[in-house]
Amino acid sequence: MTTDLNQFPELDKTKFEQRGIQLEIGVPVTCAVSIGNNIAAGFGDGTVRIFSSGEKHKTLKAHKGVILCMSKDGDSILTGGDDGYFLKISLNGEINEITNFGSRWVDHVAAYNGNLVCSSGKVVYYWDKNKKEPKSLNHDSTIGGLAFDAKGRRLAVSRYGGVTIWKKDYSNKWKSTKLDWKGSHNKVSFSPDGKYLVTSMQENVLRCWRLKDKLDFAMSGYGSKVKSFAFISDTSYLATSGAIDAICWPFDGEGPMGRKPICLPYIGNKQVTFIEPFPDEKAIFAGLSDGSVFLSQIENENNTIIIRSFTGSEVSAIAMTHDKSNIFIGDMNGNTLWTSIWDQ
Amino acid sequence: MEETDRQVPVTVLTGFLGAGKTTLLNRILTEQHGKKYAVIVNEFGEQGIDNDLVVDADEEVFEMNNGCICCTVRGDLIRILSGLMKRADKLDAIIVETTGLADPAPVAQTFFVDQDVANKTKLDAIVTVADAVHLSSQIEDHHEAEEQIAFGDVILLNKIDLVKDENIEVVTKRIRKINPFAKIIKTTKCGAPLKEILNLDAFSLKRILEVEPDFLESDHDHEHDDDVKSLSFVSNTPLDMEKFQNWFGKLLQTKGQDIMRTKGILDFKDENDRYVFQGVHMLMDASPMGKWPENKERSSRLVFIGRNLDTMNLKEGFEACKSE
Repeated sequence: MTTDLNQFPELDKTKFEQRGIQLEIGVPVTCAVSIGNNIAAGFGDGTVRIFSSGEKHKTLKAHKGVILCMSKDGDSILTGGDDGYFLKISLNGEINEITNFGSRWVDHVAAYNGNLVCSSGKVVYYWDKNKKEPKSLNHDSTIGGLAFDAKGRRLAVSRYGGVTIWKKDYSNKWKSTKLDWKGSHNKVSFSPDGKYLVTSMQENVLRCWRLKDKLDFAMSGYGSKVKSFAFISDTSYLATSGAIDAICWPFDGEGPMGRKPICLPYIGNKQVTFIEPFPDEKAIFAGLSDGSVFLSQIENENNTIIIRSFTGSEVSAIAMTHDKSNIFIGDMNGNTLWTSIWDQ
Repeated sequence: MEETDRQVPVTVLTGFLGAGKTTLLNRILTEQHGKKYAVIVNEFGEQGIDNDLVVDADEEVFEMNNGCICCTVRGDLIRILSGLMKRADKLDAIIVETTGLADPAPVAQTFFVDQDVANKTKLDAIVTVADAVHLSSQIEDHHEAEEQIAFGDVILLNKIDLVKDENIEVVTKRIRKINPFAKIIKTTKCGAPLKEILNLDAFSLKRILEVEPDFLESDHDHEHDDDVKSLSFVSNTPLDMEKFQNWFGKLLQTKGQDIMRTKGILDFKDENDRYVFQGVHMLMDASPMGKWPENKERSSRLVFIGRNLDTMNLKEGFEACKSE
């Protein structure tokens, strides 16, 4: 289905909303990840909800406060909260405490192949899957984001003044290299091919490093902070929020330098606040500040369909199941949609 | 107006160690029954705060890459406030306690510069707790003490029971010289009515019209140039808008580091509306605020608080903006 733009205001509910399950939880959805064909979503009241196809969702009371971050770890999820807890939660609802930092928040979590990482303040804690005690990796300023590369060999830690990349050397000792750029760096990500590292900054701009020669450049022109970005289809594009269009920078060939991004427009001139890739396709889900969510093909802007109509609250989480059958959408007012994507 | 209704007010509590910040904080938290507060404290700050929502901050100050050299903000505040806004329960207010040696400007600027922070929270007021016994010597020895007085919307002159009346007079005069528009409340054990401390909306332009500061033209007696002080100017001749914008814009751009706070009400030639502005260093908030009241004489008034004000030819600059 292609949206007829003129008919949009009369559209009441999309077919996805009609056939899916909509909930009004009333507290912000802060994060969501897919685990196999299920979705786990975290909320501002510390609950985790697990959505599975054909079953009623499960609600787990996990944290005492806001769930600030979430990551997949095999068949489980890791969560960090403003209650200072770092938890591992399995799909069947078993909750295990990895550690707790008291009044200090757990700001970021990540995992690769059973090795677990979280950050609290200026310190990254790394649990090797074979060890009980974590290794502390110290930084001079508060950590803005964490990311492993696709092979789990390098851990990027964004902070004030740039990014620190940690790697174990041949004797299993941690070594770090720094990528410097003045300013506060938040979310960080390696490109899937490992060639680039991107951060979103406190200003309305992205910073990118080409890792082979540390050449760095900015991607700018945004009307607001870029809170969400994702590499699409194995480093073909970097799709970003922060503007009234979804901005997709080309990363194939020689990279984005000197090239123009593709701008995917949406009706209503609302800011794009969340980007989620459609796995293996050159397509994205874009969530907007009014709660609406669109699915677009990057190289064919006319091929855009509306998944969820407006709710009046900024989209803060989108996740698609591994088998690409179902999608979860959540916003800052706690309106959620869990629906199948394909017509039966 | 709907937007402002949803913004959580943030009170910044500043003052030297030992002045009584924790006493005030605990009074606020225990006396305001049924209200939900988050308190953001510094890791090196005073201990013993009686609240279930105390967040440690690391006072991480950074420069914005926006070409504005004095535009520093508190990165930790941006992060903490955005985290607090995801909570299930709505907060009635947030109180940010800063350490004695912290410059209040980055805290205030955070609310001007960061869009997410500005959308969901608003700076309510800067409350400075000052120790009546030690303030004079602290001002001499630490520029931060001077700055905290300069930025305050409310100054709690605390521990007056330990100071002779004539000395209170001296300290009050010293405060007034630095900051003519702060409300000074004299207390023992921070015993001021909380309605004079919370929900003041001191940074709203409307509020500037309501509480008119001491806009009397200041006398220019000579002091040390690096002292923080205030100068104010009044004109009954309407100003030329273009001339004013040129002068004032350039002034903030070049001297914004030394100019800490500005407030003003302006009467422009051929304009029916009053223009109100207020600024922190280089950042400024300005807007027309409706017609002049009929029973009131139109005039332009502005106040500067800062260092080295005597070197900026402020009087000449202001005079040159007059429309005739």
